[in-house]
Amino acid sequence: MLIQAQQLEKTVDTSEGPLQILQPINVSINAGDTVAIVGASGSGKSTLLSLLAGLDLASSGEVLIENEKFSELDEEQRAKVRADKVGFIFQSFLLVPSLSALENVMLPAELAGHKGAEKEARELLAKVGLEDRSHHYPNQLSGGEQQRVAIARAFVGQPKILFADEPTGNLDAKTGGKVEELLFDLNKDYGTTLIVVTHDQRLAKRCERVLQMEAGQLSEAAQNVA
Amino acid sequence: MWHKISFRLLKHELRRGELTIMALAIILSVTAVLSLSIFSDRLQAGLTERSSEFLAADRVLSSRRDIPQDWLDQAGQMNLKTAWKVVFNSMAFAGEKMTLVDVKAVSDGYPLRGELEIADQPFEQGDVVDGLPAEGEAWVASQLFQALRLEIGDDIEVGNSSFKVTKVVTYEPDVGFSVFTDSPNVIIRHSQLEATGLIQPGSRVRFNVLMAGENSNINAYEDWLLPRLNDDTHSWRSIDDGDTPLARSLNRAERFMMLASLLGVVLAATAVAVAAQRYCQRNYDVVAIFKTLGASRQQIRRIFMLHLLLLTAASVAIGMALGWVIQYLVIEWVAQRLDATLPQAGWQPYLLAGATGVISAVMFTLYPLFRLVSIPPLRVLHRQLTAGNAVRWLQWVLSGGTIYALLVIYSQQWWLSTALFAGGAVAAVVLLGLGRLFISASRKAGMQAGSSWRLAMAGLQRRAAANSVQMLSFSTAIMLLLIVIVLRNDLLEDWKNQLPTDAPNYFAINIAQDNVDDMQSMFERENISSTDLYPVVPGRLTHINNEKLLTEVTKEDSDDNETEGREGIGRELSLTWGDNIPPNNELTAGQWWNDNAEPQVSVELLVAERLDIKVGDELRFNLGGEEFTVPVTSLRKADWNTLQPNFYMIFNTSTLEDFPATYITSFRLDEDRKSELYQLFKPFPQTSLIDLDAMINQIREVIGQVSLAIVFVLVLVIIAGALVLVAQVQASMEERQKELVILRTLGAPGKLLSRSITYEFLVLGAISGFIATLAMEISLFILQNQVFNMTPVFHWKLWLLGPVFGAAVVAILGRLSCYRLIHRNTAQLIRKLT
Repeated sequence: MLIQAQQLEKTVDTSEGPLQILQPINVSINAGDTVAIVGASGSGKSTLLSLLAGLDLASSGEVLIENEKFSELDEEQRAKVRADKVGFIFQSFLLVPSLSALENVMLPAELAGHKGAEKEARELLAKVGLEDRSHHYPNQLSGGEQQRVAIARAFVGQPKILFADEPTGNLDAKTGGKVEELLFDLNKDYGTTLIVVTHDQRLAKRCERVLQMEAGQLSEAAQNVA
Repeated sequence: MWHKISFRLLKHELRRGELTIMALAIILSVTAVLSLSIFSDRLQAGLTERSSEFLAADRVLSSRRDIPQDWLDQAGQMNLKTAWKVVFNSMAFAGEKMTLVDVKAVSDGYPLRGELEIADQPFEQGDVVDGLPAEGEAWVASQLFQALRLEIGDDIEVGNSSFKVTKVVTYEPDVGFSVFTDSPNVIIRHSQLEATGLIQPGSRVRFNVLMAGENSNINAYEDWLLPRLNDDTHSWRSIDDGDTPLARSLNRAERFMMLASLLGVVLAATAVAVAAQRYCQRNYDVVAIFKTLGASRQQIRRIFMLHLLLLTAASVAIGMALGWVIQYLVIEWVAQRLDATLPQAGWQPYLLAGATGVISAVMFTLYPLFRLVSIPPLRVLHRQLTAGNAVRWLQWVLSGGTIYALLVIYSQQWWLSTALFAGGAVAAVVLLGLGRLFISASRKAGMQAGSSWRLAMAGLQRRAAANSVQMLSFSTAIMLLLIVIVLRNDLLEDWKNQLPTDAPNYFAINIAQDNVDDMQSMFERENISSTDLYPVVPGRLTHINNEKLLTEVTKEDSDDNETEGREGIGRELSLTWGDNIPPNNELTAGQWWNDNAEPQVSVELLVAERLDIKVGDELRFNLGGEEFTVPVTSLRKADWNTLQPNFYMIFNTSTLEDFPATYITSFRLDEDRKSELYQLFKPFPQTSLIDLDAMINQIREVIGQVSLAIVFVLVLVIIAGALVLVAQVQASMEERQKELVILRTLGAPGKLLSRSITYEFLVLGAISGFIATLAMEISLFILQNQVFNMTPVFHWKLWLLGPVFGAAVVAILGRLSCYRLIHRNTAQLIRKLT
């Protein structure tokens, strides 16, 4: 079992008192799975993603990645787990504006101290078809191109798990389709476990499992056959 | 690996101009501190050199006994120039006539600073001379020609020697200024002193050794000499020690320059703080991304620390170079205008400037950096997340501590720094509160107005928290600017008032009672403006409330002592009487006597404070053996800066009028009428004249130099202030950009947007200007009272100027900074945002 969530809850304090965003959630994800988390806005999808990725801590319950408990790790140790095992793709791309495409892709590998980061990054940029844009800055790239850089960045260092938060949400249908294609192709090549939060039904259907989030509760919606 | 990432980020950020404001702020603070401190160092040295003329030396070693020769030898070995000046009172005789004179026996080299001027006839314009009277000759002051009925070529006898009078001394740099104690001067050679037979054990002589040379040598000699001095017999003086109008002016100028520079440093530091905060804020997303991608806190800390260090090092270096060039250019300009060379500055300014740059960069960046490092990775999903405010006190401690440290380092005065700092802290809190209040008030007012105004006020209100902080720094900048401008004007005005062009330039003393009416009618007839004639009776204050005063000394002692404490009350005082309080005197306690004929006295405030005299105390006086006791019925504040006769003790007429008195007055005679002087005063042979022109001119010249310096300081402070404003406007840019995108997308016309931005800045500036004026008025009141010893003035003009100036400057700077924002099309804006 790669990822396990046990009795995962999240409550936040608001001016009108505590608000429970996630009801107790139990879910297990195997290595190599592709999982879509779908649901309406505000249903708690992104919160679940942030807890599974160790970006935030649960109010109660536990997340385990390869049997390592997040609740027992401090922020630094969780960062180390992310550096070693996790990649990210965001709706708003979140490239570092003052670094070029190539440098953005190199960044996770460099932070993890990998040697040969540049070579790896160039190969990945070639795979996403942007080898000739490697010295361009994010603001010189279109939305689709930025997301392709973000995908390349996500796969550098060959993470075991890839979290994608609405990866096509900011793109038009055609570009979104291309990006989606790229994402699944690379995922297949690298054998990564993919967890996608999305509204996009087409994207969800390409995943093996679809989990439905509704008012903070998670249910298994479908098991697609790849 | 982290340093590679750091270099990469830094390179790109520099290229994209992200760090420009921050670098500029550091460069400016270093430039300002360096150029200011070098400039003021050099100017100060130049001024001291110029004012050293008042001593005729850089330092004077003075003693009642002869000074050991090896002390002079030591000075010579330390590369100091030395010259003797031995001064004593003696009677001088010429034919049947005799009078008391000040004999000044000087050796070659005198004066070491400044120049001696001589003429061929009394009261004529003199010429600079390089040399001294020959053996057997004497140069004497114009007054002596009157007193002894001398002609050039006549002999005068002093002690056992006879001297031929060959020249008239018209100007001596070190003549000093004392109306009652100075007799006419006679200059002879030091080598002829012994032959006069006047230097005997016990005689009232003051031995002076004048010294001049490089500052470092003087300091070294001072270190050698001071342990050898005996406080009872020796005194060691520089120009700053005297309580002369010049020393006071210099002192004020120095304080002003220091204060202005301090304010400049605080402004520049504020700009660094604002820029640093903005820089860190702009990197919140970057840090969140880094953390999400697995970066540790340590990696992030190192990456941004390296930025800071490299940026600081580069900016400090640029600032140093720039500061050096600026002070060089300004000094050249000043030197040309004043026809003078200014001595080189030491290494301290460089150290000071470097320290200022590094301290303000590091200390003001620490807290923003701390927050930056603690940005949660979750910000990648929730963009509104920032670092917690848990240790906000740290920011206050750090920035407060830094500003305080800079103040202390710069002024090297604990009390001034502490006062400024405490005042500033209180002001900041009040200003912050006021700012909020005004913002909410203007929001209400704005609701009544047109759409651009409404939008502007809504913006102001929405950013209330940010705006009130912004307003605080706008206000501070404007306030500091106003303070510097006003102080400069007040200071110059105050000096000008002290020395109006029609200020008296002569004192006439020893006027016989019989001559009073004739002299008054002479002044009227010749159209010469003069003060009243005051009677003068010499007398001694012996007891206060039956308590005998300990410092009773003889008249000669008081002359000897004049350099150690002119106001020493042990000496004989010049007492006067009158029915009315003299002009430039102000009653501070008690009542003026008017018609009351009971014996009583009015005491000048400074003396009263020194001797702890209060209204109602009984003072006993001794006038030529006759003793009497009178009560103090009032205290007066006299303006010692005016060139008019002032008195410590004024009696009512009935108390003193029966004592024999001479009279004193001061009057103004223009340069072109000076040649008439001899004829005009021929009928009053007993009267002595004291020429003040030389002293007045010296003071004017020094004030001229200082004014130039002040203009330079002002320019630097203005630049620092402008930078704070720009940094602040820049800091609010991101927020504005978001709003503009929304408003533009909703179809708001460009005109409406640009107007609303202008209005918002106008209001922000006007409120800041108003608050600044208020704060300035309060600070000035305290400063003028406590630091500059000036009479506080209310600056009503600035209550209009402050807000208008604030509104105009902030609006212009704001508009300029937002120009690109407004003129971008919506698509570009959206792109920039994402």
